[in-house]
Amino acid sequence: MSASPSRLSSHWTTFVAVGFVALVAVWSFAFLGLGEHDHRPALSVLVGSLFWVSTLMGMLMLIMITRVFDAGWAPIIRRSWEFMISALPVVLLLGVAPLAFIPEFRHILWEWTDASHILPSGHEVGHDPILRAKSWFLNENFFLIRIAAYVLFFGVITWALRHWSFKQDKERTAQHTHTLHAVSAVGIPASAVMLTLLAFDCLMALSYHWFSTMYGVWFFSLSIRLALAATVIFTYRLSNGGWLDGLLNQAHRHVLGCLMLAFTVFWAYISFSQYFIIYNANIPEETFWYNMREFNPVTGLKSDWWGVSMYLIFGFFFLPFLLLLFYRAKIVARRLLTIAWIIFVGGIMDLWFNAVPRQIVDKTAPEGFTVSPFISGYLALDLLAIAGFGCLVIGLFLRASTQAETIPVHDPRILESINYHE
Amino acid sequence: MNERNESIHGVACTFRKPADVYHAAEKVRDAGWKYWDVHSAYPIHGLDKAMGLPRSKIPRLTLLGGVTGFIAGCLLTWYMNSFDYPLIVGGKPLWSPIFPFPIMYECTILFAAFGTFFGQFILNRLPQHHHPLFDLPQFARTSDDSFMIVLEARDSQFHLDESRNFLLSLGGQEITVIRD
Repeated sequence: MSASPSRLSSHWTTFVAVGFVALVAVWSFAFLGLGEHDHRPALSVLVGSLFWVSTLMGMLMLIMITRVFDAGWAPIIRRSWEFMISALPVVLLLGVAPLAFIPEFRHILWEWTDASHILPSGHEVGHDPILRAKSWFLNENFFLIRIAAYVLFFGVITWALRHWSFKQDKERTAQHTHTLHAVSAVGIPASAVMLTLLAFDCLMALSYHWFSTMYGVWFFSLSIRLALAATVIFTYRLSNGGWLDGLLNQAHRHVLGCLMLAFTVFWAYISFSQYFIIYNANIPEETFWYNMREFNPVTGLKSDWWGVSMYLIFGFFFLPFLLLLFYRAKIVARRLLTIAWIIFVGGIMDLWFNAVPRQIVDKTAPEGFTVSPFISGYLALDLLAIAGFGCLVIGLFLRASTQAETIPVHDPRILESINYHE
Repeated sequence: MNERNESIHGVACTFRKPADVYHAAEKVRDAGWKYWDVHSAYPIHGLDKAMGLPRSKIPRLTLLGGVTGFIAGCLLTWYMNSFDYPLIVGGKPLWSPIFPFPIMYECTILFAAFGTFFGQFILNRLPQHHHPLFDLPQFARTSDDSFMIVLEARDSQFHLDESRNFLLSLGGQEITVIRD
């Protein structure tokens, strides 16, 4: 192998430092927001961390799925995923966990945790019969136990998947591949449950009256899309002056492109089905969630969130879908890279669409509330949070790459992976 | 064209090893043949490149079928629910792209599958109940332990003696003339 891995990896401290500075800035805004009873800067921290939690969970699932299916193409890319997921518990610990465990942030973001919070109807959260009926699940203690469980669970599973894989570099035994089969076979359903609950707690519970049993699957499909887009982006970089130089070939890109196409369709299928079921049933407890993402409650006209939803349909589904239908779009490196960036940016829009709109009590408005707008200065703070966590993830990824071989040299399928063909 | 015999389908030549037939195919491709084929019991990796075959045109027919299906689904739901027998169901509009989407989407899949399946039939010229090659005992062995290259008489380069010698020069084992 070339000397380039160490050259790239040596930058890890810079990335971690830049990420750290950005996160200090974002957290400072979040604390300043507390003073003005403004939830929005805290939401930036949540959006920034969930964007990367989502991406890294997608990679975690891809690692385990390619393990149980013995995917011949995967090993050279999977090692980089293994480096990446070392950042997952860190992102949870620096983003989601403090927001949940610091009471002021918890109360301001998850309104149901604040019994004295006034709802648009004029009632207090503590007297809300809907919350009472759900309180076996939505109560503060259980909520905090669950948040702690996510950190613990994803810490353990990401450690286990790396531990035996890295061990194989030195011990040259196929036994570790069998062990990782077992870990993955158990890890897939366990992670599916955990990421579903995480999506419920961190996103769906931001608007606790609303419920969708498809929400976990939506989060999963978004995760895999983001993970594949991120993979195309970083493998492009790593195959141009990194440790995948000369290893990543057209067939690997083709596989990633096909998976991106499949999960683009899957994401659309899930997102549309969720909308479709709520639209057809037309029950107010469910439709309000989409109504506040379509109409301005004061004017009754389409709001800027409607524009975001149109972007999701045409920019996040149709555009990548139609482009990925073409064979050459999946094999020509720069075309695939462009599509990956379209999906990556679209993923931010999707997260915004799900996390940001909320009812803000306003006695002067006809319905008793307004909806937080899409276009605002806070978008810059969201992007800063995403960039900050992103630098941290890249830094930890590069740091992890110094701890093991940059491709799994003693994986039983390593030659199959290097010589992978269509 | 010289001495082309209408009753001749082509010349077949057997090979014993996949590597031999692979390299022979490269030479036939480089000689510029258009109507010819290689027969093997299993896929030989890279043979499509060695034969100079372009990518299949099936995906285009699939896309065409899919687009047709999507439009058909739109028209079907619009005609039935909004035009021929306007009916309000569940307080929804007579036609919108949302409530009938499952139908539009299922029609897309169905017609895309039709495009693929029947497109494959058309491109492969199926159904074809008989082929001159079936009369050849050597041809049966290509589904077992033998490989075969067939140069067809309809190719402009075809010349019985020259083509036979060409195949022999490629390392072929047994030359047979196939009659229609």
